[in-house]
Amino acid sequence: MSRPGFVLEVDERTPPLLVHEGENFRLERLPHGTRVIYPPDSLPGIRDLDGVIRRALLEPHGSEPLPELLFPGMRLTIVFDDLSLPLPPMRRPDVRQRIIEQVLEMAAAKGVDDVELIAANALHRRMTPAELQHVVGDRVFRSFFPQHLTNHDAEDRDNLVHLGDTAEGEEVEINRRAAESDLVVYVNITSTAMSGGPKSVSVGLASYRSIRHHHNVHTLRHSRSFNDPPKSAMHHSYNRMQDLIGGQVKVFTVETTLNNDTFPAATRFLNKREWEWNYGDQAAYLASRRGNSLMTPSMRRRLWHRTEAPYGVTGVNAGAPSEVHPITLRNVHRQQLTEVQGQADVAVYGLPYICPYNVNSVMNPILTMCLGLGYFFNLYLNQPIVREGGVGIFYHPMPNEFHPVHHPSYIDFYEEVLAETTDPAVIEAKFEKQFATDPWYTHLYRKSYAYHGVHPFYMWYWGAHAMQHLGQVIFVGADRSAAARLGVQSASTLNDALQLASQTVGTSPSITYQHMPPLTLASVR
Amino acid sequence: MTGTYRIGRLDDAHVLLTGATGFIGQALLERLLSGHPGTRVTIVVRPRGNGGAADRFRRLLRKDVFRAWREQVGDEAAFAEAERRVTVVEGALDRLEDVEFPGDVDVAIHCASSVSFDPPIDEAFSSNVSGAVALYEKLGEQERPPHIVHISTAYVSSGGQGLVREGRLTHDVDWRRELAQGLAARDDVERASRRPEVLRKALEKAGRDHGKAGPQIAAKDAEEARRAWVEERLVEHGATRAEILGFSDVYTFTKAMSERAVEELWAGRPLSIVRPAIVESALRHPYPGWIDGFKMADPLIIAYGSGLLRDMPGQPDTVMDVVPVDLVVNATLAAAAAPPDEGAEPHYFHVGSGASNPLTLRDLYKHVHSYFRRDPLPESSGRGHVRPPSWTFPGAARVEFALGAGERAANIADKLLGQLPGTERTQEWASRLHKEKRSLETLRKYSDLYGVYTRTAVVYDDRELRALNAALPADRAAEHGFDPAGIDWYTYLEEVHCPKVTAPLRARTGGRRGTRRPNPAALPPGGSPAGGTAGGTAAVFDLDGTIIASDIVESYVWTRLASLPRGRWAPELFDLARNAPRYLLAERRDRGDVMRSFFRRYEGAHVEELRALVAEQVGDALLHRVMPEAVRRIRAHRAAGHRTVLITGSLDLLVEPLRPLFDDIEATHLAERDGVLTGFLRTPPIVGEGRAAWLQSHARERELDLGASYGYADSYSDRPLLEVVGKPHAVNPDTRLFRHAKRRHWQIARWGTHTASRWDALAGTVISHTRPRPVRALPAAGRTASDGEGR
Repeated sequence: MSRPGFVLEVDERTPPLLVHEGENFRLERLPHGTRVIYPPDSLPGIRDLDGVIRRALLEPHGSEPLPELLFPGMRLTIVFDDLSLPLPPMRRPDVRQRIIEQVLEMAAAKGVDDVELIAANALHRRMTPAELQHVVGDRVFRSFFPQHLTNHDAEDRDNLVHLGDTAEGEEVEINRRAAESDLVVYVNITSTAMSGGPKSVSVGLASYRSIRHHHNVHTLRHSRSFNDPPKSAMHHSYNRMQDLIGGQVKVFTVETTLNNDTFPAATRFLNKREWEWNYGDQAAYLASRRGNSLMTPSMRRRLWHRTEAPYGVTGVNAGAPSEVHPITLRNVHRQQLTEVQGQADVAVYGLPYICPYNVNSVMNPILTMCLGLGYFFNLYLNQPIVREGGVGIFYHPMPNEFHPVHHPSYIDFYEEVLAETTDPAVIEAKFEKQFATDPWYTHLYRKSYAYHGVHPFYMWYWGAHAMQHLGQVIFVGADRSAAARLGVQSASTLNDALQLASQTVGTSPSITYQHMPPLTLASVR
Repeated sequence: MTGTYRIGRLDDAHVLLTGATGFIGQALLERLLSGHPGTRVTIVVRPRGNGGAADRFRRLLRKDVFRAWREQVGDEAAFAEAERRVTVVEGALDRLEDVEFPGDVDVAIHCASSVSFDPPIDEAFSSNVSGAVALYEKLGEQERPPHIVHISTAYVSSGGQGLVREGRLTHDVDWRRELAQGLAARDDVERASRRPEVLRKALEKAGRDHGKAGPQIAAKDAEEARRAWVEERLVEHGATRAEILGFSDVYTFTKAMSERAVEELWAGRPLSIVRPAIVESALRHPYPGWIDGFKMADPLIIAYGSGLLRDMPGQPDTVMDVVPVDLVVNATLAAAAAPPDEGAEPHYFHVGSGASNPLTLRDLYKHVHSYFRRDPLPESSGRGHVRPPSWTFPGAARVEFALGAGERAANIADKLLGQLPGTERTQEWASRLHKEKRSLETLRKYSDLYGVYTRTAVVYDDRELRALNAALPADRAAEHGFDPAGIDWYTYLEEVHCPKVTAPLRARTGGRRGTRRPNPAALPPGGSPAGGTAGGTAAVFDLDGTIIASDIVESYVWTRLASLPRGRWAPELFDLARNAPRYLLAERRDRGDVMRSFFRRYEGAHVEELRALVAEQVGDALLHRVMPEAVRRIRAHRAAGHRTVLITGSLDLLVEPLRPLFDDIEATHLAERDGVLTGFLRTPPIVGEGRAAWLQSHARERELDLGASYGYADSYSDRPLLEVVGKPHAVNPDTRLFRHAKRRHWQIARWGTHTASRWDALAGTVISHTRPRPVRALPAAGRTASDGEGR
């Protein structure tokens, strides 16, 4: 049994604590009385993973065993989560590969020969052949790529099907091949409480026409938080769509959860509590800092993006989506949930180098904003760790850098939209449609490796709830002009940030630092 | 021993005035109108532009010089009186045959002349000698010969040292011969400039400088250079002829010739010759500081105040013979009212300050320095004020040496810079060098031009002038006097003159301007040709360096590496490196040649496989190297309804990923046989002037209005392309295009903030791709037509 998560109160015995800031990190002395939320220790991974997968497929929840769903001449589509999960990518073999291989073996044994593999990348960029190969493994890649191993194309009108509208009038439009299959096997990794379950097919295989019904300012302002599905308007929408899909498409889902072994051995100290660092960890910390400062930004980025996590798998569950997902969520909570008493005036977060949308890419200012005010801020149940009108302090250098191929519409969003306004509602009303239907962005999304034209808008909406909730947002160490463009403040040190914050929360605010990554879900009472 | 003068009144006289629109002429006319109410005036005005001479006269009356008078009598009354008293005769002085002159002129004041110091010799003679001769011949037809007041310059006798007396010049140069030779010089020089050796040289230089932009541009430039050479030679003719005869420059030379002409033509008739020194702004009348444009010393003052004149080759004790214009006017009118007796020798007057109230160069420097110390000029860049330089007067030789060395260094730097790639840093260097060269040029110009005035050891005696002044009736001495001893240099220079000549400059550079950037999104909509009568608007883009940061070699490397297994990359890259010098040399010569020889490398490639390779991997690399600002700009043009056009030397297959951005693409097509590329171009490469020609014919076809269209390119070789559109933009320009764009005030843009580096593009695409395309996309490594068979 691993140690549970806990809340540390900083006092004179507390060493400086690790704070992530992009491709770097620092040891920061936090003011006495600051509360620091740590996740539970990493859970042990399953030893006999192949055996557990086999058992999950043969003894599913709320469904016949997988082999019984397979028959000769059927159309089988295996859909899997794309490269946005998990973060950082999982060291080979990826758990998806191990599941897909077993599913394919069962299908072969049953004489199924019409099999397609589709990456559920929704409006994300296409995965490159190398990235696909990393997820599905060499064997599967060689046998299926490129004809039968593809990326979902949300702009290929001929290969989308409108399944109908929900009672709320939400259009459900998904990938035609999946919709017209006899069976869809969805292979998932649920690394946060927001993913998996109803989200998998209804978002991963959908088009802009469908996704706009839940990815919008109104829904996101009413998802408190989106990591708490019962309290998330976004998930209510997913559920309605999934119900409609479930009535027409047979989905057999395989959901997995991972432990918190986020960093490899060389940077093991990042997984540990600071006062438990040994000499080796301290040396590794110093060496990493030194190494980082010697490298150019692009070398540093390349190196960090080559990092693969030695995750252990904490659960594999298969069957009907509605039956499987609650079990999966329990596994996520087991690994990530920490109880916190009460809200603080100031919340502190250190933002790392990676978010779901910059794998093998550049973390641009908009993604930084999304990671901080979207993902990290929303890692709570019940209520945010910071009170309404409080201050959010984030660490990130926020360089004005963009990936020209992956994020072309982001560059224009930054230069043209944010230059005019940062109000999500205004942005949505005035610019979204234009970017979403722009033929050049669509061309790049389909033929190159670009995120969809509308994607930067979603990034901005992810932060809509936090923007409304917080009275002040300060980025420590951020590029001043980039921060100004995003409509937030920048400070060079924590002291300066607290000085700036004092106009909102006074000179002796209560502070909570949510210590991440590894990910921590705060349950605030 | 001085002459004795009796000054009469001009009140009932009829005065003929030439050069009335010039600096001294305006002041004379004003004085006659405001101070001599009974005088009738006839002015001879050259018709210029679309307005006739009468128009010019009316415009003249609105000028500042008449302001005080207009205010005193009222605008309407002033205009009416001027109309009544002034007769305007329209005619050019050198073509007076058919011009009707009044027959009753009492006094003729000839002050029309060219004041340029270094005009071509024929122009100097034509305006300073021919004009005077024609005028005096015309006046000679009058029954009663008028009294001629000939305005010359003190510097007609600038050679030698010591005191120069007021009297007839001592030289014995034959003015008729000099006039004839001077006027004929142009024909000689024009003929010489057309000799093949000269033309060949001009062509070679133009080829070196502009060959990259195309033969037509080079030819045009060569012809311009020839014309400039003609002007230069004629200036040189004047300068050397003047020098050999002992004159400081062609201006004083021709002025001396015209004095001799009038002495001869008007022998035995009343003649006064007035020789002002350096005429500057008014001391008192019409108001303190009045000046019309920049006069002789003013460019010096301005250049000094702008920090451009770091030292001066003059001697500190040289007398700077400055005289306010109102003193010159008063002296001239006094001389006009005191004609020599019939048959007597002409009167000569030096109007200057050098003899009775000398101002040395060092005094002048001290006053000007102290003025600018107190009230410095703003920097044109808006960054604070200019610090006035401190002069040390190191002597002519040292200034000349420093200047020469500076010029040589700047020229070498300029040449070197032209060879460097156009980065932000080289452009900053180019801007700094440009400024430095400008400063050197200014110094050179003034050093050559004013050298004689600042180095001369001559003082112009003024005892005749003082005698004339003394002859003024006591009641008129105060207002019409011209005693230079009365000038207080501090007040005149620091409080009157300098503030006046620097005022326009202060008004112009007041505050920092030009930081306003054009809004990139604000493109005027371009009407489609179907919609209106005017043509549609086009936005024309070059590819390499403008839209993408790569070139044909880089895209070849992507294609090549993507089609080969890793083991064979090294020999391929080696082969490319081995041939690089050849391509670079060819690039310097002719871009078309590089393309011809480089594209041979694609010989044997299968078109369909190449296409697939581009779709899967090479296109991705290309998009890594795209400049996002370029794409935004193209899309903005599309949104504004403009027709977007791409002109590139790249292979058509390779630009495929950008096709959705453009309405028209003109790229290089390789010939193919049975689906395999032959390595030969299907049509000549579209480079340099070919691009402009293509665009013009394309515009006719598509009914595009090129004058309203936009062009974007990065290289000097695109100059012809950019010159045919109305709104040219230099994007990340090379150093030559940068210079050219600066000169022409073209928009200059720096794009590529988020463009991936060469290595990132390669690493992120070709190298990280899992497997190469079949090798058939390109044939065996490094085979080119020239060395293919022997390997």
